[in-house]
Amino acid sequence: MPARARISARAAVLVAALLGLSLLTLTHGQIALPFADTLGALTGTETSDLTRQIVLEIRLPRVIAAIIAGAALGMAGVLMQALFRNPVADVWSLGLLAGGQFGVALTVTAAAFAGPAAVSFLTVFEGPSITIAAAVGVAVAAFFMLALGRRVGAITLLVIGLMLGFTSQGLTSVLLHFAARAGGRVYGGWQDASFAAIAPAQLPWLLAPILIGAAAAVATAKPLSSLLLGESYARSLGVKVRTLRHAVLTATVLLVAAVVAFCGPVSFVGLIAPHFARALAGTARILPLLPLAALGGALLALAGDAVVHARWEQHFLHLNTTLAILGAPIVILILIFSPAVRQWR
Amino acid sequence: MLDLQSLSVGYRSAGGPLLSDIRISAEPGDFICILGRNGSGKSTLMRTIAGLQPALAGVASLGGENVATMRAATRARRIAVVLTERAFNPGLRVEDVIALARQPFTRWQGRLREDDRAAIADSIKVMGLEPFLRRYFSNLSDGERQRVMIARALAQTPRLMVLDEITAFLDLPSRVEIMALLRSQARAKGQVILLSSHDLDFSLQLADSVWLLDGAGGFSVGTPDALRGSGAIGRAFDTDGIRYSPGRGRFEVRTPGSAQ
Repeated sequence: MPARARISARAAVLVAALLGLSLLTLTHGQIALPFADTLGALTGTETSDLTRQIVLEIRLPRVIAAIIAGAALGMAGVLMQALFRNPVADVWSLGLLAGGQFGVALTVTAAAFAGPAAVSFLTVFEGPSITIAAAVGVAVAAFFMLALGRRVGAITLLVIGLMLGFTSQGLTSVLLHFAARAGGRVYGGWQDASFAAIAPAQLPWLLAPILIGAAAAVATAKPLSSLLLGESYARSLGVKVRTLRHAVLTATVLLVAAVVAFCGPVSFVGLIAPHFARALAGTARILPLLPLAALGGALLALAGDAVVHARWEQHFLHLNTTLAILGAPIVILILIFSPAVRQWR
Repeated sequence: MLDLQSLSVGYRSAGGPLLSDIRISAEPGDFICILGRNGSGKSTLMRTIAGLQPALAGVASLGGENVATMRAATRARRIAVVLTERAFNPGLRVEDVIALARQPFTRWQGRLREDDRAAIADSIKVMGLEPFLRRYFSNLSDGERQRVMIARALAQTPRLMVLDEITAFLDLPSRVEIMALLRSQARAKGQVILLSSHDLDFSLQLADSVWLLDGAGGFSVGTPDALRGSGAIGRAFDTDGIRYSPGRGRFEVRTPGSAQ
């Protein structure tokens, strides 16, 4: 089938680009390494401890986190844009990430006020406990937006999502201030999003829910494609729409909860990656979009991270700052020029 | 093949049923037009028959099976619909829309097999949509979009097709063309086709049978000739402004002061 061959070829190009960008990010940064040393550190033949430490302990976890988180956000974006039939729907723009952030902040604050025992519990079981806190926050926001999405139009929903995002970000920052005074903390840079704060030991906690979420996304792909025609048509094609909606939201929560917990509210990646995937795939069917959006999201996240950690005079860029500078103009261009969303404008 | 047994349709929240105790059946190859004014219950009746909303009482059955209790996947293989509902769908192309018709026949991935492709190619050809396949569905005109949705319903190879007001956005030649095409489809494939329309004229010329809704819960069924003769059409559509003239087979404007 030519369409499938074309999609595979494009996915292969994206994989190659991702590998290239990963190597670049591992080599360049505050300290530029010779490319051979980076390869040496990765293959275990490098003898300098410092080089090994820089590549394997500092840069590699960051690169892996960026790839995993970017891929998860890209896939979640595909699910959200199909579920809401809205080209600017995404876990960030509809306020789901902010909800997750609020969940984490509440948990950290509650632990801080509950006393040192709760804080040390949270420290020891950091991976699962903040992921679950984020998942609850994301899920509450997701089901709220779904209920709202059936009552208001696409634009209103988007504005409400952004407003709710601002509200919960504000509340989160207040909460974290009090949490810090009471002895609780989250990672540095968490509120501005960062792939740098994750410890190598936590990477499995980031990856595991995302793998389950990705499997769930793939399982919902076929009925979700039918839902693109609208609810009645989907039902006439044998789709149980209510069940599907819940399954899609569950997949979304699994995909992004750990991302919020460990990397913060990463903006724009999930909004742009699906458009990129549709352009490459030449179709809006969900199944071929998922791998392409995952690769595109990973590339975008890694590119943002590479810019943040390039060799600047001083550290002045946050991940979300970079993504906003890169991403917002792209969204504007898509909305103005993309023929795929012409009717929506 | 299609049997309505004491079927009552409407919305539970809205007082009584819109239509009640409908008993009627249709055979394979029947091309049936449903006529009635706005709000007479055409869409509700059609959605109920298609299994998209529950009946208030009674049963609609297709090939002896109740459509309301049929498995969703089975129903999707036997009944195709074209509705007035319109959804925005970012990036969905015409070829995607038509291919979605085969989803009830595919496995979990939705991968198309040879017979799926044949059904899709067939319906594209019948509706003359080859030049549109790579266009974005939401960027089509209303009439083009309607043709795509009809092609999609044909590609679903159903036993029963339920088409709600599909000719509304089409120009005169297209209306006749599509209604004639659907009629010959029904004959050739042994399908039952239910079509609601405001095109009284063409419906009466082309339908094997007409279901006439008078807007007050009344329901008459018959061949176009029988309904013309019985005065049922006038009872359903006449207002102070217009009346149906059975002799001329058309509506005439009542001018004030003219004798009846």
